[in-house]
Amino acid sequence: MITNKQIEIYIEKIPPAPKALRETLQFLNAGELVKAAHVAQEDRALSTYLKVLVNKPIYGFRTEVSEVSQIFGILGVSRSQQAVYNYMMTLLSPSKWILFKLNRVVFYNLQADLSMNWQKILLHLDIEDRDILSSISLLPASIIVSEALFCERKKDVDILRSVNPIDLNTILQRLCGIDLFGICEKIAQKWEMSQSISEIVLASSGLRPASDQQINQLGKWMHLLLFYTLSQPKYIEAELNDFIDFQIAYVEDIYENFSTLMEIS
Amino acid sequence: MRAVIKDGIGIFHPQGFLDGASSNAILSIDDIEATVAQNADMILVSLKKVIFFNRNGLDSFVKMFQKIRTANHSTVGFCDYDTKKYDAIMRFYKDEISFSLFKSQEIATLFSASYKNQNKNILLYNEDKSQRAAMAIELHDNGHNPIITQTQEEFNEKANAKNAYDIIITDTFLGQMGQKVATRVTGNAIIYTVASFLDAEIGNTFNIAYHNNSLNVGFRLFIFDAYKVVSMNIHALNFFSKLSSAGAEYNATICFVGMSWDKTPKEFKETLEDSGIMFFEQMDDILHDKELLNELGASSAANIKNKRVINKLIVTELPNFIEATVATIEMMTNSEAIKDAAKIDKIAIKDPEGQIASSIGFYGDIDGMVILVFPTGIAKKACELLIGEETDNTELILDTLAELVNIVGGKVKTLLADQNISVDITLPRTYPDIQALLEIAQEKKGVQVDLSFNDDKFLFFLTR
Repeated sequence: MITNKQIEIYIEKIPPAPKALRETLQFLNAGELVKAAHVAQEDRALSTYLKVLVNKPIYGFRTEVSEVSQIFGILGVSRSQQAVYNYMMTLLSPSKWILFKLNRVVFYNLQADLSMNWQKILLHLDIEDRDILSSISLLPASIIVSEALFCERKKDVDILRSVNPIDLNTILQRLCGIDLFGICEKIAQKWEMSQSISEIVLASSGLRPASDQQINQLGKWMHLLLFYTLSQPKYIEAELNDFIDFQIAYVEDIYENFSTLMEIS
Repeated sequence: MRAVIKDGIGIFHPQGFLDGASSNAILSIDDIEATVAQNADMILVSLKKVIFFNRNGLDSFVKMFQKIRTANHSTVGFCDYDTKKYDAIMRFYKDEISFSLFKSQEIATLFSASYKNQNKNILLYNEDKSQRAAMAIELHDNGHNPIITQTQEEFNEKANAKNAYDIIITDTFLGQMGQKVATRVTGNAIIYTVASFLDAEIGNTFNIAYHNNSLNVGFRLFIFDAYKVVSMNIHALNFFSKLSSAGAEYNATICFVGMSWDKTPKEFKETLEDSGIMFFEQMDDILHDKELLNELGASSAANIKNKRVINKLIVTELPNFIEATVATIEMMTNSEAIKDAAKIDKIAIKDPEGQIASSIGFYGDIDGMVILVFPTGIAKKACELLIGEETDNTELILDTLAELVNIVGGKVKTLLADQNISVDITLPRTYPDIQALLEIAQEKKGVQVDLSFNDDKFLFFLTR
């Protein structure tokens, strides 16, 4: 169904991060918001994306924010970096989704939902780290990779899953010895994202606990956040609810905390 | 969301958080219809991967359950939960539970008449005396050996005995059980399970299309497991008489097993016997008597009066069948297929040693049967994808094989549908050795295609 060769080709085809993006990130890393905004403004696709993203209701701005400098100013360095990484992820996403019933709007909403709640979680955990805040941006790569690898095999996948409750991650792991999160890690390396970003996302698979306690704990929160988000009707309808396996045992010890934070009743 | 269907049980597997909004998105009418169309006699929602649910979340499912029961008489409910979740559901619904609760899928299968592994020693306990009795009756009727404990202390004591029981049942509740005529395949016989009062409703609960198509694909022995039948009226009598007459042209035999005549007029039995129906006291009287099985037509296709031959229409669709098979095996084993040879003749298997087989029938605009003969190696490789590990367990391999041939059937159905040819598929059958396959297939003519998957020889046979 899917071979290692296909995975290799897919990873090879991932373009390096465009120059404007790399420069924007470099300026953000140096804390130079004005310069970063200036470079980002030059990239029309990036500036349009940033405007669409931050004007979503979940960001809660009362008036429309239209200038990149304004956006970066409001978001601050960490959240601006997170927003740029979110944009990088959209460069990988297909123009037309086949496996999942997604479109650009729903995918952007998913990114926004995850980002805002991740920020809430980090605030609750009292963690202020730019890379940790940005790590959530890499998580939807697992969805994009699933789409890319399985879209031409949708019928096969549907038939296989009609007789066995097997998730896409397990299919890939059993066929090729690498899973979706392993591929996400390779994307992160290609885009020169920080090591901690891919480590948290790897742990968030729920299948590869990290040896570093903090990273493992963040992996748990991210895993639970993913399934909290994918339990929303719009993502269930997009057929995202069961694309990977929810590892309840992995998140059991943080569940009470999570449900209090998210006000689940 | 689509259900996973196995052994007549359709299970939905939602994950994460269930509230009123998400539950509605998980289970739609279309999903239910697709499940019912595949002859599921039990429809369940698994709570294994659900970390949170509230009453609103369950209510959406419960409303759907009621619709399913009204329309299809299936058993409906939840499965795969721990004691905390069970207690929460019982608290939500108290005395108004109309659905069933099965602690695990394994326990649910014990209550499904389509379940084929019987004779399990089962320890059970429920606080409610009537529940204990209801479960024991159902389990006994399904061919198991239930051991009921009357108190929690007695249960705890017995449950501690190592290896004394195959399965222990707790946190399980039987709501309204299914009234559909459940179907299972044993060897070459089809067994239907009927219960309580048989009246005109049998016409709705019995899947006549499935029965006719089983006749079409070569089944000749149909057994009605009637241990649980209390009585039948004239409408049911007419139904079974007609069913028997209709089967006569295929040389089919219909038997009743375990029917008690205490509350049914004795003349009914004579009328049914006149229409060709046979009666036995025990299931083993038939299934363990090879000579009788031969006589009743359950061992060989040679008994078929109107031997059906492969026709041009089916041969025209051969590429679709081959494509479905090759694509499935390639998908399951991640290997590439090479076509070695094709011919129209009787099935010819060169090295029967170490090979197992599986078949599935299809019916509708066209009808016939696909037989697949595997070296055990390919079957094992396919198992690795579905169960995630290598295994030498024959039962597990045959089960996986059944799933695999089910996938082939599903693909055939899809490919033919693309050309506006509508077919349905039967339950898959597996054969632990080639001799068992030849008993039903050696006289049949069909198209044989020999294939190789990474040097493993594989045989595809399409017949009617």
